[in-house]
Amino acid sequence: MTDATTSPAGSPASTGKPILQVSDVHAAYGMVRVLHGIDLEVRDGEVVVVLGANGAGKTTTMRAICGLVDTTGSIRLDGKEIVGKKSADVARLGVAHVPQGRGTFADLSVEDNLQVGAFVRKDKEIRSDIDRWYEVFPVLGERRQQQAGTLSGGEQQMLAVARALMGRPRLLLLDEPSLGLAPMIVQNVFRNLQSIREEFGTTMLVVEQNANLALGIADRGYVIEAGRIVLSGTADELSSDDAVRAAYLGY
Amino acid sequence: MELFLARLFDGLSSGATYAVIAVALVLIYKATTLINFAQGELAMLGSFFAYILAIEQGIPLYLAIVLAMLLSAVLAAGIERVLIRPFDPADHLPLVIITLGLFLVINAVAGMIWGFDPRSFPRMFPEGDVWSMGIARLRWYTVGTMATVLVLLVLLTLLLKKTKIGLAFRAVSSNLESSGLVGVRAGPTLQFGWMLATAVGTLAGALFVADPFRQLDPTWAQRVLIFAAAAAVLGGLDSLWGALAGGIILGLVESMVVGYVDWIPNQMGLAAAVVAIIIVLVIRPNGLFGSKAVERV
Amino acid sequence: MSQPRPITEGSTAHRVYRYVPWAIFAFIAITAPFWAAHTPAFSIGESTLTFSLGNLNHAVAYMVGVLGLGILVGYNGQISLGNSFFMGVGGYVTATLVTDDGWSFLATLVVVLPVCFVIGMLIGLPALRIKGLYLALTTLGLAAVFPSIVRMEQLRDRTGGANGKRIESDLDAPGWVPIEPIGDFLSSIPLVGEWAYGEGVSGREADAVWVYLLLAALTAAAFWVARNLIYSRPGRSIIAIRDNETGAAVNGVNVPMTKTLTFGFSAMLGGLSGTMYAMAIGFVAPDVFGINLAIFLIVGLVVGGVGTLSGAIIGGIVIVFVPVWSAQIESVPGVPERFLRGPTGLFILGVLLIVLTFFLPGGIVYGMRKIRARFVQIVPDRQVAGDDVVVATGDATGGKMSRHGGKTALDVDDDPTLPDDDPHEEQAKRILDRDDGAESAPVSAPAQQTNQGETT
Ligand SMILES: Nc1ncnc2c1ncn2[C@@H]1O[C@H](COP(=O)(O)OP(=O)(O)O)[C@@H](O)[C@H]1O
Ligand SMILES: [Mg+2]
Repeated sequence: MTDATTSPAGSPASTGKPILQVSDVHAAYGMVRVLHGIDLEVRDGEVVVVLGANGAGKTTTMRAICGLVDTTGSIRLDGKEIVGKKSADVARLGVAHVPQGRGTFADLSVEDNLQVGAFVRKDKEIRSDIDRWYEVFPVLGERRQQQAGTLSGGEQQMLAVARALMGRPRLLLLDEPSLGLAPMIVQNVFRNLQSIREEFGTTMLVVEQNANLALGIADRGYVIEAGRIVLSGTADELSSDDAVRAAYLGY
Repeated sequence: MELFLARLFDGLSSGATYAVIAVALVLIYKATTLINFAQGELAMLGSFFAYILAIEQGIPLYLAIVLAMLLSAVLAAGIERVLIRPFDPADHLPLVIITLGLFLVINAVAGMIWGFDPRSFPRMFPEGDVWSMGIARLRWYTVGTMATVLVLLVLLTLLLKKTKIGLAFRAVSSNLESSGLVGVRAGPTLQFGWMLATAVGTLAGALFVADPFRQLDPTWAQRVLIFAAAAAVLGGLDSLWGALAGGIILGLVESMVVGYVDWIPNQMGLAAAVVAIIIVLVIRPNGLFGSKAVERV
Repeated sequence: MSQPRPITEGSTAHRVYRYVPWAIFAFIAITAPFWAAHTPAFSIGESTLTFSLGNLNHAVAYMVGVLGLGILVGYNGQISLGNSFFMGVGGYVTATLVTDDGWSFLATLVVVLPVCFVIGMLIGLPALRIKGLYLALTTLGLAAVFPSIVRMEQLRDRTGGANGKRIESDLDAPGWVPIEPIGDFLSSIPLVGEWAYGEGVSGREADAVWVYLLLAALTAAAFWVARNLIYSRPGRSIIAIRDNETGAAVNGVNVPMTKTLTFGFSAMLGGLSGTMYAMAIGFVAPDVFGINLAIFLIVGLVVGGVGTLSGAIIGGIVIVFVPVWSAQIESVPGVPERFLRGPTGLFILGVLLIVLTFFLPGGIVYGMRKIRARFVQIVPDRQVAGDDVVVATGDATGGKMSRHGGKTALDVDDDPTLPDDDPHEEQAKRILDRDDGAESAPVSAPAQQTNQGETT
């Protein structure tokens, strides 16, 4: 992907106002520097995908947004600076994060996982939201008293997504929702994401290795390489970019 | 038969008190995966608070105990904030050292303020027996202690299962990072765990020294810490009801073994407790009732 | 701040810098008993603090106990609190063999050392499965059990039960050791001699000086063996396990064997320390070897410096003299007198433990090294510099306490992977700091969390 930066920057598919503006973000684990100036933007109602090889820094980017790693630079949420905030405070501003590996509360029941997802909410509709997720994911409804750690990988992924959405977030971060799932299940997860998008208009930033599927539901995308954004564009532009096709789409 | 019943009742009564302090240890362990070596000393301090409030301030005993629980919870909040929170919970050595330092300081402060002369704590339960047969006496103290422990455990279970702070507490103890991602603030939640544990410890302390056969002085908790820790480990370290079971098993083993096997001297109860800890940790690290694998790294 | 003065490694200046402090230390160590024999006293306000030879001997005995604990905790990373148990075994075995069977003190080591080594290994076995906090808990239990074992009815004949056991044997200074002449010589030093050493020593004083010299020799031997162990190949394995157990195993270290043997060695030093205690005090009692001693050893370790050998010298002195002196303090302005009658020593040691963990987690030895580095800087000899710096880089960041996110570069003092002194380490740290652009303040004790969101 040598000529990547020369590709045209994609014009946003949606013209909503920006929710998340990441600019010149650097991040490090101790002395290991991982991000070297990330810039990206997510607008209201958009689904944006981040592509990149293993170890490129995708997860670290998500962690930087959530205050889980030492970060410098600027990350604005609705125009408000959030670098240096603790993860709980970022969450309270309306960012929900489904971390890589799902981060379920393994020894809590399915029901409690959903309850804790609504931890910061004060309204009366928590119960009805939970029931709605049981409708969207009937298998969760059947196992509501079961310990989350005993669910299958796909079920846990759905639980993680539902838990994140229980907070009624402004922005949903999804880190490799397909990781470790069988292809059939992956299809299913993405179908669900698509319908969530259609039904609730949730703004999402999705990290995904499975570029085909991800670009299928996304408006725009970024390609990250060795801690830098090397390419960005609309989903269509990225799908037709030769380098992206060679590296991520496999045709 | 009489002897057996006598041993049984003895074992139940000491087992119940071990269990309450074990519950305090379990609460802190669940919150922070830390074993608080100062837990026994905090309970000792709490029992002195209750004594001072009841005897010197003339406050009714039960109210004095509740006030002492609140007072010690406030103290615990300060300790957590100043001495514990700055350290990485995954790095054990500094935390072990800090809680050992607290152990010395609390013990010394109690000795400096109140001296080492034994005092007798007011009775929490009526004197005399509920039922007796020869030398086997089921004392009101034993029944009262057991009842208190049961009520306490039910209340704690409800608190953890049914309230929002309880949910936060369980979330933090289940997955620290994810709890932050859903907006649970870990610091205040863990602080709440310390406060709760210390208040429970104070109650345990009051129950322990309220036994007419025991007295209050600044050294009573040193032995008990080991028993309570053994009870907690036996029960699985993260299980409240396991702590109760562990405490009672230990109390019974202590009174039966020491009572029936002549060549085992009285003092060996403590050794039995330590051996129990070793065996459990080696053979069944998540205890008899622990719900998840206790991390042994 | 002025620049540290550079000293080239291997130069005459470097040799002076290295050996002169040792010579001074050796002089002080040998002459201290002649000074302490007169129990010099210092007045602070209305209080008089004394420095007696009996207490000094006691401190020397404890140094070895702290040393043994330090090898296990500081170098091998096994958090054990149970070394007071082995000190108890050593103290009681010596007491009974000397009193009841007429052995000489030193001969009892033939029993004490192997017995403690074996018991230590046996306890080290479950420790292979019990780690971290659980090991700390289990070994604290062990420490708590010791007093009840020696109180047992069945052992009373040998242990003296709850009353303890007085050792019916005196260590008299033998004629061939010129203790009195040395005392006379020291007191005849012009100007300071008589002031520091009085009239010389005689009779019981000379016997006490002899005990001191024996203890000091045993201590020197213990430090020598410990140092050789730590700087040897097995020593490197011991440290590798502390730094990264899995990594050590991958690199061919026999982890179970090494850990068990380290436990045994540590216990053996504990036993030696107990024997030395019996020699120093002439009396053993159950509660001497209880939980408090177990925690005192930790205090000694932390005060001196976790992961240092020399810290044990400071540690032994602190855990004996802090309680002695606090008991002698009669008044402190603003503190009610009744507080000073209680266990003020315990209180001060507890506070020391907490304060040092916060502000100087490397202990006094580390603090002294930092101060020294401000004045002198050892410049490595050109030809050897390269390699050593690389080695040191890896280690300078891996301290024993508060190592979060690789940020807290606690000195690995006395670390065998480093040349004898620590200049390379300092230099390596500067290199690291430059790389990282970070502040060179390695002892930011309760290091900030890298993951800011997690526990605050
Ligand atoms: N906790 C950590 N400590 C040190 N380095 C890390 C840590 N997590 C990730 N890294 C490193 O950071 C780089 C980026 O990792 P990550 O963001 O997880 O990549 P991706 O999600 O794109 O696969 C990798 O080189 C990885 O080795
Ligand atoms: Mg990733």
